[in-house]
Amino acid sequence: MPVTEPVPPLLGSWKRIYAVVLGELALCILLFRLFSWVFS
Amino acid sequence: MSRLDWLVLGGALLFVVLWGLYKGRGATSGDGYIGGGRDHRWWLIGLSIIATQTSAITFLSTPGQAYVDGMRFVQFYLGLPLAAVVLSITALPLYHRLKVSTAYEILEARFDLKTRLLAATLFLIQRSLAVGITIFAPALVLSVLLGWSLHANILLVGTLVMIYTVTGGTKAVAWAHSSQMLIIACGMLLAGVMTAHRLPPHVSLADALHVAGGLGRLNVIDTHFDPGNRYNLWSGLIGGFFLMLSYFGTDQSQVQRYLAGSSLTQSRLGLLLNGMIKVPMQFLILLLGALVFVFYQFHTPPLFFNPGPVKQVMAGPDAAAFRTLEAKFAQARAGQRQRAESYVSARHSGDAAATAAAKQQLLQSHMESEAIRREGVALIEKANPGTNPSDTNYIFLAYVLSSLPVGLVGLVIAAVFSGSMSSMSGEISALGATTVVDLWRRLIGGSQGTREVWVGRIATFAWGCFAMAFAEYAARLGSLIEAVNILGSLFYGTILGIFITAFYVKRVRGGAAFYAALIAEVGVIACFRFTSISFLWYNVIGCVAVVGLAWCFSKFMPAVLDTVSPG
Repeated sequence: MPVTEPVPPLLGSWKRIYAVVLGELALCILLFRLFSWVFS
Repeated sequence: MSRLDWLVLGGALLFVVLWGLYKGRGATSGDGYIGGGRDHRWWLIGLSIIATQTSAITFLSTPGQAYVDGMRFVQFYLGLPLAAVVLSITALPLYHRLKVSTAYEILEARFDLKTRLLAATLFLIQRSLAVGITIFAPALVLSVLLGWSLHANILLVGTLVMIYTVTGGTKAVAWAHSSQMLIIACGMLLAGVMTAHRLPPHVSLADALHVAGGLGRLNVIDTHFDPGNRYNLWSGLIGGFFLMLSYFGTDQSQVQRYLAGSSLTQSRLGLLLNGMIKVPMQFLILLLGALVFVFYQFHTPPLFFNPGPVKQVMAGPDAAAFRTLEAKFAQARAGQRQRAESYVSARHSGDAAATAAAKQQLLQSHMESEAIRREGVALIEKANPGTNPSDTNYIFLAYVLSSLPVGLVGLVIAAVFSGSMSSMSGEISALGATTVVDLWRRLIGGSQGTREVWVGRIATFAWGCFAMAFAEYAARLGSLIEAVNILGSLFYGTILGIFITAFYVKRVRGGAAFYAALIAEVGVIACFRFTSISFLWYNVIGCVAVVGLAWCFSKFMPAVLDTVSPG
């Protein structure tokens, strides 16, 4: 049975929301790496 | 603790209980009690998910982890956002479409009753033992450092949790979680600000971070792939992903939180909120631990932060040797403090060569004092044979009690209690829900009216009592804690394997999944009994074995299993 995807209240699509979540993860890794490098 | 600390602690705990009772009132059906009325908003779901996984011991040990080992522990959580996205796309729509109350219901729809009962039983065994440790471990730390009665501590936490969890069910748990997260956030934030403020006046935050970094405490990301290293980027992204997939996708204590959402959209947003908050939150808690580490570069710490085993040494034949080591350690730390001051001065002078030399001297000094500490730990181990000679869980609270101002001590201890209560309430609520939905409702055929609310209350109360009794038992058998952790890993892989098969291996039928799970479980227990494989690997072995065997069974002997399994 096909699932009707409800439109999220933010950003207009779930793909964009997932991209934000994964983008934040990538940004965290990058900033953490930078943080380690600057203060090592 | 001062009177103000007691007032803050008492007020915070009373607020949590009354808030949970007030917001959780009015459940008149089983679905209202177990499903929380399915009207929760995304932010409440997100806070409740975070609160359930934030146990007090995680909260106590994380800053200690940064103090001892640096900040690399944050990599353990990197798989969480990935798992949140995958579950939002795959599992949540299925759970909502089938309107299930527990994760295990879906296994009957997909496979058969016995596979559902197998997964539910494995969850009940694993989680019921773990919840006892959830309240025992922080109670032990508080009893050692504050001299409180361990039994009274366990009884207090258990009773407070049961007042609102048994009365109001999932809704009370979720709203109490929101107040507990508020207390935890305030306690940790103020502790962090105060720690930065209590550094010597000439030491800026940037200086502090350079001192911590110079001594290897800001090693947040390690890109080097090494299977023997538990915390690196790859183990976090890959291993952490599977662990989080299992925890958030199949553990009823988490599934119940997002199934209470008013819609699929709210559930998804709640889970994704957790995916966005958890990594930065762990980073900040670890940073607090790194700041405590820097604080102790300018103040002398105890040789060992857990006073319990130290008393044992002092009562034995090595007391004089330990005192000598303590004096040597204090002397070494005084030298280390001077080196830290020199490093900060060199940084301020802007002389790169002098800064590098001062940093090297500080590192050398740190290694010398650590060598003395290791000698002390060896004496502690000798006087306390069979015990874990780690004081990681005691560092943060020992620092709070000795160095933070009146009032804030009470708030931080309230945060510790909140952590203990938030995970216990989520877990006993899930145990009660599984007992009612997967056993009582399914096997006895109970109605979903007021009677089921009372069955839910009795089941939750019984699991709460079991948790407290097990916590008391664990107090007498310290080595059991590790056994319980191993016990969890014995079952987690198999449960995850069943769910992955259900979601992703379309051709597998009930009989194949059930017998694959049974054989995989026997295999995991055999690994535990007859091999030296580290217990963390049982999760992978169990999961891969279930998926692989189920696929093979359905491919090569489908007729036999269909006959065996009327499902």
